[in-house]
Amino acid sequence: MSFITQYMINQGVPQETIILLLMLPIFTTIIVFARQIIGIKGFGIYTPLIIAFIFLATGLKYGLVLFVIILLIGTLLRLLAKRLRLLYLPRMSIVLIGITLTILILLLGGAYLEQKNLIAVSAFGILIMVVLVEKFIALQIKQEAKKTIILILETLALSIICYWIASWPWFQNLTLAYPLWIILGALIVNILLGKWTGLRFSEYSRFWEVIKNIEPAEKK
Amino acid sequence: MFFNSIRKANSALLGINARNLTYKRPSNSRRAIQIADSKLLAKKILSKNGLPTLQTYSTIKTIQELRDFDWTSLPSTFTLKPNKGLGGEGIMIVYGRKKKFPYPWIKADHKHIQIKDIQSHILNILEGTFSSTSLPDIAFFEERIKLLKLFKPYAYRGIPDIRIISYNSVPVMAEIRFPTKESGGKANLHLGGIGVGVDMGTGVTTNAIQNDRIIEHAPGTRLPLRGIQIPDWKEVLRLVVHAQQVTKIGFLGIDIAIDREKGPVILELNARPGLSIQIANLTPLDDRLQRVKGLKVKTINQGVKIAQNLFGGEIEEGLEEISGRKVIGINEPIEILDKEKNHHSTMAKVDTGAYRTTICSVLAKKLNINQVIGQKKVRGALGLEERPIINLAFVLDKRLVTTEAFIADRTEMKYDIIVGRKDLKRFLVDPAKNVFMRRKKL
Repeated sequence: MSFITQYMINQGVPQETIILLLMLPIFTTIIVFARQIIGIKGFGIYTPLIIAFIFLATGLKYGLVLFVIILLIGTLLRLLAKRLRLLYLPRMSIVLIGITLTILILLLGGAYLEQKNLIAVSAFGILIMVVLVEKFIALQIKQEAKKTIILILETLALSIICYWIASWPWFQNLTLAYPLWIILGALIVNILLGKWTGLRFSEYSRFWEVIKNIEPAEKK
Repeated sequence: MFFNSIRKANSALLGINARNLTYKRPSNSRRAIQIADSKLLAKKILSKNGLPTLQTYSTIKTIQELRDFDWTSLPSTFTLKPNKGLGGEGIMIVYGRKKKFPYPWIKADHKHIQIKDIQSHILNILEGTFSSTSLPDIAFFEERIKLLKLFKPYAYRGIPDIRIISYNSVPVMAEIRFPTKESGGKANLHLGGIGVGVDMGTGVTTNAIQNDRIIEHAPGTRLPLRGIQIPDWKEVLRLVVHAQQVTKIGFLGIDIAIDREKGPVILELNARPGLSIQIANLTPLDDRLQRVKGLKVKTINQGVKIAQNLFGGEIEEGLEEISGRKVIGINEPIEILDKEKNHHSTMAKVDTGAYRTTICSVLAKKLNINQVIGQKKVRGALGLEERPIINLAFVLDKRLVTTEAFIADRTEMKYDIIVGRKDLKRFLVDPAKNVFMRRKKL
């Protein structure tokens, strides 16, 4: 363990706090890499990042179940609220209230069935997840279903990858041992990624017809 | 082979990364992006400079204005748009109005709508639901384009528009987009519209794609999408260059529609044009952008001419492939073989009115190919004349032609050699090609 992290832990800073903080530059770098090199869009940088942290707080299983439930209920409520012909913000507020109600019922059910793991899920995780629904619903209003689903899946995939990396004990030890190197490395990688003008992986498949056509055209 | 094409693709294709970093950011100032992102501002600047845009009937900026809006001022057909909408989102097209109570309007999909439907759509616009920044937006009513008869069979309940990417005052690549049933009458490719590449030189369509795949016919019909001539093509290109110069958007995607009465009209400007235009044209974009980079284009006509000369010719290639013949113009560079089979280049005039090729006697002597092998009578404007014939070999557009040709004194003429139709059997002559090519004497 590095001298700095050792000192902080000895002084009472929780080890988990340090690990989570050091994971942040790793997560952002993964998300940037996925966007610039691979072409996985996701929802900007914030959403996949925060979902990864929620998964770390709630555990992957419950996190995913919660995510899917909240999203489905949110979509359903949006379609119902649409008929009320209300302004955007009140409408969204109603959707969020509906989700809160659903989660309360869910917790009630969990308590009744004595599902200890379910009722112990982190409150912050649930709250943030509920608030995130606004982003997904705003997207649903703007774009067609197929694109929205792809974006959500991409975001989930990114979050899960981040979750796996962060819950990998070997990697956790690595970050504790070399905290400064991790931050410096992430900085350098991001500067390089920011200057990258090459094609993204997804673009090779997108432009495949054109690529096939470049070769014969040059033979002429 | 595989890695080779990957490497080539990387240097020639334009991806999103390069578009943003290499072209969009350095070429488009904040002001330029502001103009492109606001339809109303763009229209104001364009029409101030005498460029054709669509008439705005009225704008609605606040909920108060919506409440006070005089609905009787609306004509029976119009489009309703958000000022900062992205990718065709939030556009409502109204085709007509029923004459019976409650006087509903009719949308593209034949659905009836009433004032309260339009009001709720405008509310959504004002809240910024369709806005690229999600900030409050402005709604406006605009005149609806009247579909050109020519495009009617191809377009499903909507207006096809021409997207042209222009860089540094030179139109670089063009595509025409047709709305389909799948795209719900919108000409957006990501919704399932058809994109058809357009030859820059002539304005004739080339390859067609739908959902990123190549197609030949308009869906559900046997109408070929290839070979449609876009009317007023030169005027369209001129509009593009002019609009780029007045808005100073250095890397510009411009949408133009052709109205039945008004002709070409600028619909929209875009500072981050989509890249699927490369698929419709089966041509990488970065290649072309690099060739235009740094050129100093002074006049509008110059920009148009550069575009047509540099990026035209796809139609010719297609024609050459089908007919197996080369397309040549009236003035063509030619290489004449001398006695030792060395090539000498000069300019030739292609003359389908003459049967036999004629070469200047002075040039023939210089190349030492003036051994007369016979005489033939020719009937010319000056009456009957007997001219000597020699053996001649020349290369025209990379094809070797060996023939017998007349020799005559052509020292007073513009060209040393005219090529007659006897030697043009393997070529197609396009009088519009190479018109500006300079002649040079040997």
